[in-house]
Amino acid sequence: MTAKKVIETKKVSRVFKNGEIEVHALTDIDLIIVEGEFVAIMGASGSGKSTLLNILGCLDKPTSGDYYLDNVHVNMLNKNQLADIRNQKIGFIFQSYNLLSRTTALENVELPLVYDRTGRFSNSKEIARQALELVGLADRIYHRTNQLSGGEQQRVAIARALVNDPALILSDEATGNLDSKASIDVADLFVKLNNKGKTIVMITHEPEIAQFAKRMIYLRDGKVLTDEFIKNRSTKEQALLDLELTS
Amino acid sequence: MHQLLKTFKVALKAINKNRSRSLLTILGIIIGVGAVIMTISAGEGATKQVQDQISGLGSNLLMIYTKMEHRGGSNVRMGKPIDKRDFDILQKNAVFISKLSPIIVVGAQAIGPNGYKSTAIYGVSNEYFDVLSRELYSGDFFKEEDVKNASKVCVIGETNREELFVNLDPIGRKIRIDKIPFTVVGLLKEEGQGAMGQDQDDLIIAPYTTVQNRLHGRRRGYDMIMASALNENCISEAKIEAAELLRESHRILEGEENDFEITTQVELQEITGNITGILTILLGAIASISLLVGGIGIMNIMLVSVTERTREIGTRLAIGARESDILIQFLIEAITLSLVGGLFGVLLGVVGNQIIYKITDFYIPTAMYSILIGFGFSALVGIAFGYFPARKAAKLNPIDALRYE
Repeated sequence: MTAKKVIETKKVSRVFKNGEIEVHALTDIDLIIVEGEFVAIMGASGSGKSTLLNILGCLDKPTSGDYYLDNVHVNMLNKNQLADIRNQKIGFIFQSYNLLSRTTALENVELPLVYDRTGRFSNSKEIARQALELVGLADRIYHRTNQLSGGEQQRVAIARALVNDPALILSDEATGNLDSKASIDVADLFVKLNNKGKTIVMITHEPEIAQFAKRMIYLRDGKVLTDEFIKNRSTKEQALLDLELTS
Repeated sequence: MHQLLKTFKVALKAINKNRSRSLLTILGIIIGVGAVIMTISAGEGATKQVQDQISGLGSNLLMIYTKMEHRGGSNVRMGKPIDKRDFDILQKNAVFISKLSPIIVVGAQAIGPNGYKSTAIYGVSNEYFDVLSRELYSGDFFKEEDVKNASKVCVIGETNREELFVNLDPIGRKIRIDKIPFTVVGLLKEEGQGAMGQDQDDLIIAPYTTVQNRLHGRRRGYDMIMASALNENCISEAKIEAAELLRESHRILEGEENDFEITTQVELQEITGNITGILTILLGAIASISLLVGGIGIMNIMLVSVTERTREIGTRLAIGARESDILIQFLIEAITLSLVGGLFGVLLGVVGNQIIYKITDFYIPTAMYSILIGFGFSALVGIAFGYFPARKAAKLNPIDALRYE
């Protein structure tokens, strides 16, 4: 029995036009990611990894090619349907957290449920509280964004990405603004979520963070250079030990 | 509907989160609306007060006086003065005039038991009180016999009572005007400030015969004749008739100009109407400027607020808000701020008018249309400039909004 396809792209390309100049950010990407996978996307800056993640996250549309998310043909959707897809099927985590300022952790996590039109969540406060518990912030739910450390803010953002029970969690350099210790905590959190069955795709430029994933895709010039399963996955203990040795 | 309710809550939360900015926006609207209401109402109030005073003179009023010309800085009489002969002719022959009184004004010092004051002495006939419809606070007007006998009696205004008598009852007591003793028979009801700011209670009224014989230095003629037309419908007939009689009396040939002037109350109202109209326009212009400045303030703060929140809009879009969710949220925010600011602005305007009334005694009725203009304009500006930048932001690609610095 084959696992359910969460992501399927067929010859996805993305071309940016800047006046006369055409920039081929992505060229003919064929990619299948099934349920329960934990994928790290790596590559130099300008390799197209953010563009790919934006397309996977329905924030951008491919110039050509087809994208199926959870068996929905995304190319055919209009703006409102895309918004709903983002709301129901995707949890997005950003490098700069993008939390609402002067707002409590709980209210931030609740936010996606405010825009939920399916009515699947009856008690949004309770669901948000559970998500914060899951990321280890049970004692911080009424703290405002500015009262939290960077690592804590990113965990609030992760809780926000989890709260709508998405088919896919996308992380764009989630550890980019964090110190090594906080980065390892976040990576470990991803592993735990993945162990619970969440499908995760994360961009990172730190190899030691990528080592936490199950599969690594390396992009160069808008094309997949390598795509392989990771044999020796890192663990939190291992990474902390390495950190001690190098410092 | 459920979604709308949720968005409504989001909007109110956002207002609360950005408390200082919200308060500044509201303050801008409050001041804008309040200023407009107060300036427009002040203009309206002044106009109304002047109009009331003139119509208070009695709409049948005619004023007949010698033609004046401005020469070398002072007013010079251009013709034969209006005198007893003219008065008698009008009294005997004018069918459209019911009541009339000569008016002689002299300045003099009045001395009472408790003080003295320089004031204007009006020499009039007993019919003056009917022509001008002034009312008494106590005592009585003087009678026809007093005029005939040139009695030394007078009616005084409130300002003079205060200066000359302080706390004594003036009725029946004597005052001296230029060393001549007059008996006070009546006290006029207080009228307050006149249309042009003059004190309408600073006067003493005495029979014109007495004033002419004792105080006027026996100059010829009257300063004016005030007359009442029979009724409101024959004012112009009365004016034409009086003019004909006076031309005859002054022996003015056909084709020659009148050496006197006759002004009716209606004409007076028109003249002052023009003046107060200009006043209203002026105040309106000031109000428009404050409205404009207030509007720019609102506009500024709304624009800055939305631009500043582009990233927030990006975040909301990324986690699944529809364009319409964002739009409605910002619209509700703008409407709420404008409404709250507008309501407090109206309150400020109305209360401000009351405070001015308490302090200066200048009654300003709050003009309804000033509320509509002030409230409407600031609401429009607030909503427009809360809405359009938000619309621009909501239409952005979520990624671009997220990257916005």
